[in-house]
Amino acid sequence: MRKTITQIAAAGLLLFAFAGCESFLDTESFTKKNTSNFPTSQDEAEQMITGIYVTMNDLIKDPEAHPFMIYDIASDDRFGGGSTSNKGSQSMDRMLNSKISWLESLWETRYAGIYRANNALETLDNIEVWSDEKIKSRLLAETHFLRAFFYLDLIQIFGEVPLKLTTIPENLPKNSAEEVYAQIGYDLEQAISHFPADPFPQYGNGHASKWSAEALMARVFLFYTGFYNKSALPVAGGGEVSKQEVIAYLEDCITHSGHALVSDQRNIWPYTNIHTGKDYQYVIDNGLVWEGDNCKETLFAMKFANSGVNGYFNRIVEYYGLRKSGASCFPFVPQGYSNGPVNRTLWNDWDNDPDYAGDYRRAGSICDGAVEIPDYAGDNGKEVEKTRLWAKKYLGAGAYEGSNLIQTFGYFYGGENNRQGGLNNDLILIRLADVYLMHSELTETNTYLNKVRQRANLGPVAYSLDAIKKERRYELCFEGLRWNDLRRWGDVQEIVNNQEGVAITNRGVPAQFTFGSFDYMERYNATGGGFWKIPDSQVTLSEGVLEQNPGWDDAYTFNSLPYYSN
Amino acid sequence: MIVVCLLLILFTTGLVAQATLTVKGVVSDANEPLVGVSVIEKGTLNGTSTDIDGQFSLTVKEDALLEISFIGFTTQLIRVDANRARYDITLVEDDVWLNEVVVVGYGVQQKKLVTGATIQVKGDDIEKLNTTSVLGALQSQTPGVYITQSSGQVGENYKINIRGLGTASSNEPLYVIDGVPGGSINALNPSDIESIDILKDAASAAIYGARAANGVLLVTTKQGKAGKTQVSYDGYFGVQNALTNGVRPANAKEYMSLINEALMTQDPTGGLLYNWEEELPADLLTAINNGSWNGTNWLKESTVKDAPIASHSVNLTGGSDYSRFAMGFSYLKQTGTIGYPATPEYNRYTARINSQHSLWKKDGRDIITFGENVVYSNYDKKGVQIGTMYSNNIRNLLKMTPLLPAYNEEGDYYIYKDMQENDWSFDQALNNPLAQLDYTRSRRNSISRRLQSNAYLEIAPMENLTFRSSVGYHFSQNSSRSYVPEYILSAKTANPTDDVSQAQSWSSRWTLENTLNYTFSLSDHNFNSLIGQSVEKWGYGESLDAKNSYSLFPGSFDHAYIDNTQGLDTTNSEMGGSPNSDGSLASFFGRVNYNYQERYLASIVMRADGSSNFSRGNRWGYFPSLSAGWVVTSEEWMRWSDSWLSFFKLRGSWGQNGNCNIDNFQYLATIAFNTNAYYYDDKATPATGGYPDLLANKEVTWETSEQLDFGFDARFLKSRLGVNFDWYKKTTKDWLVVAPTLLLYGAGAPYINGGDVQNKGVELALTWNDKIGTDLTYGMSLNMAHNANKVLRLANREGIIHGPEQVIAENTTESFRVEVGYPMGYFWGYKTLGVFQNQSQIDQWMADGNVVRQDVAKPGDLIFQDTNDDGEINADDKTMIGNPHPDFTGSFNFNLAYKGFDLSVTAYGAFGMQILKSYRSYSDTPNDNYTNKDVTKYWDGEGSTNKYPAFAYGKNINFIDISDIYLEDADYVKLSNITVGYDFTKGFKSLPFSKLRLYLTAQNLFTITGYSGMDPEIGFSADTNWASGIDSGYYPSSRTLLVGLNLTF
Repeated sequence: MRKTITQIAAAGLLLFAFAGCESFLDTESFTKKNTSNFPTSQDEAEQMITGIYVTMNDLIKDPEAHPFMIYDIASDDRFGGGSTSNKGSQSMDRMLNSKISWLESLWETRYAGIYRANNALETLDNIEVWSDEKIKSRLLAETHFLRAFFYLDLIQIFGEVPLKLTTIPENLPKNSAEEVYAQIGYDLEQAISHFPADPFPQYGNGHASKWSAEALMARVFLFYTGFYNKSALPVAGGGEVSKQEVIAYLEDCITHSGHALVSDQRNIWPYTNIHTGKDYQYVIDNGLVWEGDNCKETLFAMKFANSGVNGYFNRIVEYYGLRKSGASCFPFVPQGYSNGPVNRTLWNDWDNDPDYAGDYRRAGSICDGAVEIPDYAGDNGKEVEKTRLWAKKYLGAGAYEGSNLIQTFGYFYGGENNRQGGLNNDLILIRLADVYLMHSELTETNTYLNKVRQRANLGPVAYSLDAIKKERRYELCFEGLRWNDLRRWGDVQEIVNNQEGVAITNRGVPAQFTFGSFDYMERYNATGGGFWKIPDSQVTLSEGVLEQNPGWDDAYTFNSLPYYSN
Repeated sequence: MIVVCLLLILFTTGLVAQATLTVKGVVSDANEPLVGVSVIEKGTLNGTSTDIDGQFSLTVKEDALLEISFIGFTTQLIRVDANRARYDITLVEDDVWLNEVVVVGYGVQQKKLVTGATIQVKGDDIEKLNTTSVLGALQSQTPGVYITQSSGQVGENYKINIRGLGTASSNEPLYVIDGVPGGSINALNPSDIESIDILKDAASAAIYGARAANGVLLVTTKQGKAGKTQVSYDGYFGVQNALTNGVRPANAKEYMSLINEALMTQDPTGGLLYNWEEELPADLLTAINNGSWNGTNWLKESTVKDAPIASHSVNLTGGSDYSRFAMGFSYLKQTGTIGYPATPEYNRYTARINSQHSLWKKDGRDIITFGENVVYSNYDKKGVQIGTMYSNNIRNLLKMTPLLPAYNEEGDYYIYKDMQENDWSFDQALNNPLAQLDYTRSRRNSISRRLQSNAYLEIAPMENLTFRSSVGYHFSQNSSRSYVPEYILSAKTANPTDDVSQAQSWSSRWTLENTLNYTFSLSDHNFNSLIGQSVEKWGYGESLDAKNSYSLFPGSFDHAYIDNTQGLDTTNSEMGGSPNSDGSLASFFGRVNYNYQERYLASIVMRADGSSNFSRGNRWGYFPSLSAGWVVTSEEWMRWSDSWLSFFKLRGSWGQNGNCNIDNFQYLATIAFNTNAYYYDDKATPATGGYPDLLANKEVTWETSEQLDFGFDARFLKSRLGVNFDWYKKTTKDWLVVAPTLLLYGAGAPYINGGDVQNKGVELALTWNDKIGTDLTYGMSLNMAHNANKVLRLANREGIIHGPEQVIAENTTESFRVEVGYPMGYFWGYKTLGVFQNQSQIDQWMADGNVVRQDVAKPGDLIFQDTNDDGEINADDKTMIGNPHPDFTGSFNFNLAYKGFDLSVTAYGAFGMQILKSYRSYSDTPNDNYTNKDVTKYWDGEGSTNKYPAFAYGKNINFIDISDIYLEDADYVKLSNITVGYDFTKGFKSLPFSKLRLYLTAQNLFTITGYSGMDPEIGFSADTNWASGIDSGYYPSSRTLLVGLNLTF
């Protein structure tokens, strides 16, 4: 008996010791919250939504996987360029694969954004106290908008992709394009109905809005119906969005958004800022003044900061930058990698079109090296596919402070005097001119088409799809829209027509642009209509659940430019 | 001794009461009877000693055990037998080695009774090598413990692994300093060490189960000894010179012809060749052409000749029977050999005090004892960057073009403005490496202060029962400052505003341990049992750092404090502050060591550990071990071999150890905040973002390492020859890894218990010690170890942990990885079969149905192998092209002493591993320089070489894909130490010292290697815990010549 008691006592003591240890071993994180205690307040809800936007900063670190750059360079308006080691842009131009698991950062950041949006939708209801229910509604709308925006990139770049709508880690197969578009349609409907109807500038600074959601709906509608040859956009959970509804959204946007065209289109672009402009003859001659970031024409833009931290400056601008720096290329001073030389066909077509005679946007959008920076030699040891035409809209600009050449004008607005860190101007993703042109295209009327032309000091034209196509090409060049426009119109053959044989120089040697040993249209069709390779790592990791896109076996890995035989 | 025995007899004569008998006999050694040998009835005070004829007689109990002991001889135990008339006993001369005790964790044990695989290294053997760090001295003395310098820069640590890499997280063993786990060995001066015991097998390490998966190093600092206070001084001065293995960057003329040659390969018409007149300032070109200037040898410009090193240490010991103390103070000052004008510097001060006091003594036995150990160190250092290729000053020195002058005519650095002024148009984006070193690395310092202490109380109410309670406390504090001036280095690199940075952090940990030790014997069965409990808590502390611009004292490092900067703004001001990540460990453990007549040995250990790194329900790990030994030479029937075999013990052990060394809170989906912000409409003011950054793994738990070990310890020829052998198989299970998960999941992957890795190997240590005549003693030892590492399981879908891209050169793809079936971090790339020598060979190759990786192969191109025979050469053909782990490691020591003179030689080496090397980037910076050993090896026409392709300029398929041409065998032997000394007190007896020794030491006198890089001993791991053998520009070790003095009063 006594033995038993002793045993029980010993066991009890041991248990007590272990139980005491359990609390001794409990720790608490003082720097991180966790999903069991976040979000609990309205402030935390705002932080959670900001956390979704932040994934855009993560992607901009890798411009060679950024849709904005792909959409421009894959189109006919720009070549790959760069040096022989800039495989990213050169393969974008040719529908080839630049490296193992290329575009992984796009896949990663977009799904990270989607995960965070899913988490927000799952936990927003946990917050019991709101200062105003409208805030909850707006946060909900922003979440839906961003999820739709991210899925649109994924489906336009990769085609069918897995539709992930919860935070549960699941290895999912692809969903059909219709299912993904239906989800985008649903999310945009939710966004439009939940956003406040406050006009700009009362609401909007840097956030998605009802107006950007309406515009995005039209962009999605036009691509889906055009590319897949449909008449309406499906909506998850039933129903569809008709053309008439989209037109109504656009009219709501045009009428109520508070956004308007700026007086001179060139004033949207940062090279017209006063610090650069005071020494830039073109700006002086044309009396241009920058409207600044967040101008009234911008519906939605990716924003940057003065911090100079990677992810917070505009690396797209950095990649497009001139190869060498110095006073000879003023004002386009910040040194970059000379990606995306402008195709001379665009320059010439614009000049030769009688409908566009005297269009100021031509020289306003494209820097003609021979005229503007004749003394700039570039780097003939490195630059390839060089045309001496640069896209000015997103070309970095420097400025003089006395006789001192400052690398980037952003310095005068609190940014760094640094060729990278100082590039902090907006990357405009949706602006009102696009909305106008989409309205004309959908309604087949010329009203808003001519408003855009009128701003460029061009006379009115009658409505035709061809007129819309031309107007979009010139008004919206270098804004990441051309590639998907060509795809939805079925005009991809123009890429070959406009690029093949165009005069370029490779490391100083005159040559003619060529796609190489592949027939471009065959490549385009083999990839199901311009869908890129899913990152190999993801296909491998999924163990067969995620299937690789057609047309992407190893033979289509970009090795080197066709002008060189190594 | 005799007096004691007589006293004992007096005490005991009156006490005998029960059935007794009288035993008689003679005690002798191999030759003659021994006088004064103590014969005691074990466990009592009854005893006697032998007379002048070696005879004894004693009345004892019927079943008594006789203990026969005599100084210098091995004690014998003999059971009394009522039927036996005489006890004629032959004592065997003591083997010092056998009676040595080793530290085994929570206690000590006689070496001969140890059943696990342990090594002991004596403080003297560490100190005499005069290394700056303790681990540096262990390098040549410990088979199975693989120690590599992590860099040759002063003040850098060592990479250590015991019996191979067992995990993808840290492979550092657990350091237990004076009984307190979790200390830093780098805070100790070699002269502080009494001994280091390394527990290699699981059974030995199991007593520290929780964190012992990588083995345990038990460090004992010098302890006080009763007697006269002894003072000793050790000091040395020396000079160091970088050992670059003959590597020299190409000079200007060589460089220009190499670039030309490469451009000719690119375009045989010569259309791409540089017009040097246009590229370079005229005077430079003239000077190069007429031979008056060879271009800049950046490595040489940055090399410091005869960099000084000095060390002083003073040690005091002394005390009485009641109190003993030891103290030590040391100072080390060391200057780096490469890095001018930001010459690395390292200063270290250490102080150590410990004492032990008997609070209650009875009958000559300590009943209550109290003691403490305190070690304090303070070290400051500054140095150059030695990380990946992007932040590696050494690489910059090797690859910068020799055409760029280091200085302009005014003697200032030749930088961007000089390029502009002098029409330098070759490449205005080049950064003068000397200027870069000066601007970015010369004005900085970091200081670490570390206190390691413990205090203990021992209560021994009975002779064989000891209770010990010990409290340990460690504190460390780091602070650093730097100043970077405003500069414009090149067209691409500028620092528009100066930077002042300051950072401070501190942390502490404490431990509390209670153990109870009970020793008892049941007739011939001897037990030593221990139970104990310990708790540990760490992570107290915090860190704070700030950076700002616009110093009020531009250029001054002395004034580089945040207070001396102007204003705060979002562009230039940065600050951060965070708590340390805390954690705790609670443990219960027990051990029983058993032996039967010191002949059959066994040990059993059980430990339970709970770690705060895991969630409730998954946090307890249980780590058992068993070991056994058989001292064959203790068997009666082995007496025949006594003449040549003094000792032979077979042993075997099995055990499990744990590892919980992962980031905290893996079991929660944590929300990340601090660095995540979006700037909606104000470029200066971020809005904070929060999001779940980790997929929770609630199940994550202990990693276990299981190890089987068989070995023997033998002493031959009167113990002159010692042989220790071990075979082991160590399997680390449930390996803690961050396995890549699908990006579709949308958040970071947590640690999972995701893999198994196995290490198998053998270790052999041979020692020989002998005397010739009376004055000449000499000894040598040879250690050899073989280990094979293999990953058995990885739980992620691919079975691969990918290595990073772009490690040895820009635009290179993954080149090493962890994969099932291969050694950890094996080199992965293309295999090549040689170089196409001529067009007909290419034609034949194609005619035979082979493929090439080039679009069109030319003579001078590599022949890539289609390893999977699928008719194309692509990433699927990449395969194992090398192994970074040595097959064999070994070391050799020789020492000799003759009448006060002493000589010792130490060497160590590693064999069978490869190094992946490139000092230049081939694709994006084609104008990088080459080194002299590289320039001649490329294909240069038919028959020139069948290994390396023709030179190429820029992106070329022969170079951009990692293939076996980047790999080299890296076998090496380093002669690490030769010391000659003379102790003057041996020749001049009248000197008032007990030792006055002057010595000369040469360290790293030479390296024998076929490797073409600067140093084959490379501990760089490319931002992983598991990679090795990667040379992207490595700070080489130095040759040091020292003169020193040992003085003892």
